[in-house]
Amino acid sequence: MTLEMVGFWMVAAVLVASSLAVVLTPNLFHAVLYLAAALVATGLVFLLLDSPFLFAVQLLLYAVGVMTVVVFAIMLTERLVGERIVQTSRSLLNGAVVAGAVFVGVVGFLIRAPRSVLRPTLDADAIPAIGRALVGPFAVTLELLGLLLVVALLGALYFARTDE
Amino acid sequence: MSLNAYLTLAALVFAIGLFGVLTRRNAIGILLGIELMLNAVNINLVAFARFHGDLRGLVFTLFTIAITVAEVAVGLAIVIVIFRVRRTVEADRLDLLRG
Amino acid sequence: MPTAVPHGVGLDPAATNMALLVVLLPFVAFVLLAVVAPLRRRGQAAGAVSIAAIAVAFLAALFSWFVWKGDAHVQTWAWIPADEGPTATVGVLLDPLSNAMLVLVTLVSLLVQIYSLAYLRDERAPSLGRYYTYQSLFAFSMLGLVLSPSFIQMFVFWELVGLCSYLLIGYWYERPSAARAAVKAFWITKLGDLGFVIGIVMLWTATGTFEFHALFALAQEHALAIEGLGTIMLLIYLGAVGKSAQFPLHVWLPDAMEGPAPVSALIHAATMVTAGVFMVTRAQPLFVLVPDVLVLMGWVGAFTALLAATLACVESDIKRVLAYSTVSQLGYMMAAVGAGAPDAGFLHLLTHGLFKALLFLGAGAVIHAVGTNDIFRMGGLFRTMPQTGVVFIVGTLALAGLPPLAGFFSKEAVLAGVWDSGMTWPFLMLALSVLLTAFYMFRVVFLTFFGRVPATGHPHEPSWTMRGPLWVLATLTVLVGIRLAAGSLRGRHGPGWLAPLSVAAALGGIALAWAMYQRGAVDPGRLAATFPLSVIDALARRRYGIDGLYAGLYRGFILAFSRLIGWIDRYLVDGVLNFVSALTLRGGDLLRRIQSGYAQDYVYGVAFGVLLLLVWAQWWAR
Repeated sequence: MTLEMVGFWMVAAVLVASSLAVVLTPNLFHAVLYLAAALVATGLVFLLLDSPFLFAVQLLLYAVGVMTVVVFAIMLTERLVGERIVQTSRSLLNGAVVAGAVFVGVVGFLIRAPRSVLRPTLDADAIPAIGRALVGPFAVTLELLGLLLVVALLGALYFARTDE
Repeated sequence: MSLNAYLTLAALVFAIGLFGVLTRRNAIGILLGIELMLNAVNINLVAFARFHGDLRGLVFTLFTIAITVAEVAVGLAIVIVIFRVRRTVEADRLDLLRG
Repeated sequence: MPTAVPHGVGLDPAATNMALLVVLLPFVAFVLLAVVAPLRRRGQAAGAVSIAAIAVAFLAALFSWFVWKGDAHVQTWAWIPADEGPTATVGVLLDPLSNAMLVLVTLVSLLVQIYSLAYLRDERAPSLGRYYTYQSLFAFSMLGLVLSPSFIQMFVFWELVGLCSYLLIGYWYERPSAARAAVKAFWITKLGDLGFVIGIVMLWTATGTFEFHALFALAQEHALAIEGLGTIMLLIYLGAVGKSAQFPLHVWLPDAMEGPAPVSALIHAATMVTAGVFMVTRAQPLFVLVPDVLVLMGWVGAFTALLAATLACVESDIKRVLAYSTVSQLGYMMAAVGAGAPDAGFLHLLTHGLFKALLFLGAGAVIHAVGTNDIFRMGGLFRTMPQTGVVFIVGTLALAGLPPLAGFFSKEAVLAGVWDSGMTWPFLMLALSVLLTAFYMFRVVFLTFFGRVPATGHPHEPSWTMRGPLWVLATLTVLVGIRLAAGSLRGRHGPGWLAPLSVAAALGGIALAWAMYQRGAVDPGRLAATFPLSVIDALARRRYGIDGLYAGLYRGFILAFSRLIGWIDRYLVDGVLNFVSALTLRGGDLLRRIQSGYAQDYVYGVAFGVLLLLVWAQWWAR
């Protein structure tokens, strides 16, 4: 049992547990918090996969940014003042069956794949290579992404404004 | 850990997220489920990038993270507008698409 | 582009162009009257247009008769083009046969149209315009028929002529009897036409052509020994049976008298009904190959002649008598053709056309003056309408077959032809018919023009517009007779005792009629009551039950069949459609439930799709 393996199992357990909590807990606010935990756990997975850069990005954008936005949205859409925000889900069994089937379907492919693919050795540092890729072959995509973000921002602004 | 372990983990999180999308009543709850699914996809991408030594997986992950952020913003804005108009965000009450 | 010239026939464009002129002039008049409604609605003006067209056509026909009467010229254009020669052509065939018919048709049409101006004077102007439109259409159709160089063109005009007959019989369509008669005429002739078209198509399937010249050439080279030629020619003969009112399809002609008298004169005496005889004469080269059909033709013709003659003896409607007389004389013509003497039959067609038209127009004058068709309500008209009486008697004498009038020569030729062919029973039937013809016609003459004057109406001579055509026809009857006597050519003579026999039979009939109706020496009632005449009398009064038979067949089979088809249409065909539509609606309602409106349900759908894809990828893309 290498360190890496121990780390993997622990992070995996946290991730799965918090994911389950996200979808099962009746309180929406709690669900958001559990999601934050799941996102951090994902970041740790990235770290285990030797991508510290992505770990940082995940934390910054997801765990912090998205959560903030979601919390604000919850605030705006619930009639509060002392009320507990309750969630009861519809027909859990159907959802479980379908989701389980999808899982089984995917795993069915994984079983066929060769058992152990060894990790290749890390030759160079990924981060400068990513940077070079972003302004090189993926430059156009980067620009389009920027455009997308602007559009999304404008859209959200437009939606969220009050009519006066 | 082997590649398959990471992929299995990602598949599990994806399935859980799908379950959440299918069963949650609150619209924001559904969005949370979507978040989980996207997250699982990211894990997949990074795992493949690492085990095949291909940089493109990482770049793709960056892009998907950015896109997800945009999607969450717009999605939540829509939820807020629906709440303003319909005074509810329960998915059971929103059946305007009924044929 | 004209098609290839047939062998042995001339191609003089002047001749064929003249023929085209004859046939197209009435067509132009028809189109003009049909399209230009204001012209048509002024009845007399429409009449003028139609008469002008037919008059010029008559002059052209006369011209072509004097110039080209001995030759044959043909001109055709491709109608349905095909690889080896056109499948069907349209054109004109001008030979002695069609030339003679051109003159007859245009002459009688012209006289009838002039006559109609006075006869239908009391009609409303739009109706009169309609009448002349139909008259022009008829003239065009009949002329096109006689000029046809192929079976298929003849068939097209055949049908057109039938249509015109329907339109003109039902001219006074507000009368239910007239409407019924028109439909009946159409139905019965359609029965014959069915045989005709089937026969033509079968012939075409066997030989590959509709053209007369090609078929006759094949027949001459003995290359027409195809199986079932007898059946084919029999079917074609059926068309003539319907159109020329042979037994058993004769029932429509008496009812066709519902139309105005000039229509009866033109269509049901001189022209349309003779189309059958014309067609059989035209197709002689084919019929001689099937002698059995010819024998049948002869028998049916003779039988028709006798049957119709007996029916005429018990009729009291003057036009009906003439109608039965026409049926009888058509029987004569067909018997002649069947006996192998088509020239005799055709001669009789021509002469009969003249004097029968004369008789009908004369009857029309009488009806117009007295206001009734019933001969038992007429009498002594000779005193008040002497000219009409004279021309009517001339026509009657011609019909009875007394020399030196035209009818004598043509009748003698027919009898000679039948005798020479050795068909004894048909000959006897025809000879008896001679006696009966003279009898019933003079019965009409004596009852109408002589005898006591009835109390009704004041009869007077018709106007010159009506009298003119009558005198023209009467004169022609006499002149043609003299010409035949002088020429003593056309027509056979047969054994020496034939001519005296036929004259004696005619005189005998006249004497009998005189004794019964003029003198009152023999009581018709008592005579009719004696056996075997009583049987015939009773049957004849019921028209031998043939009409009843047709009506029964119609009600029994056709109506029942219609009801069955109606049921199938309503319950089966519509049922299937209703079921399909109900299925669609029900299916739509069911499928609608998928659109629940809940986004999560749609996600379920997506998830299912993904599952399917996964399964498919697992198994199929191995």
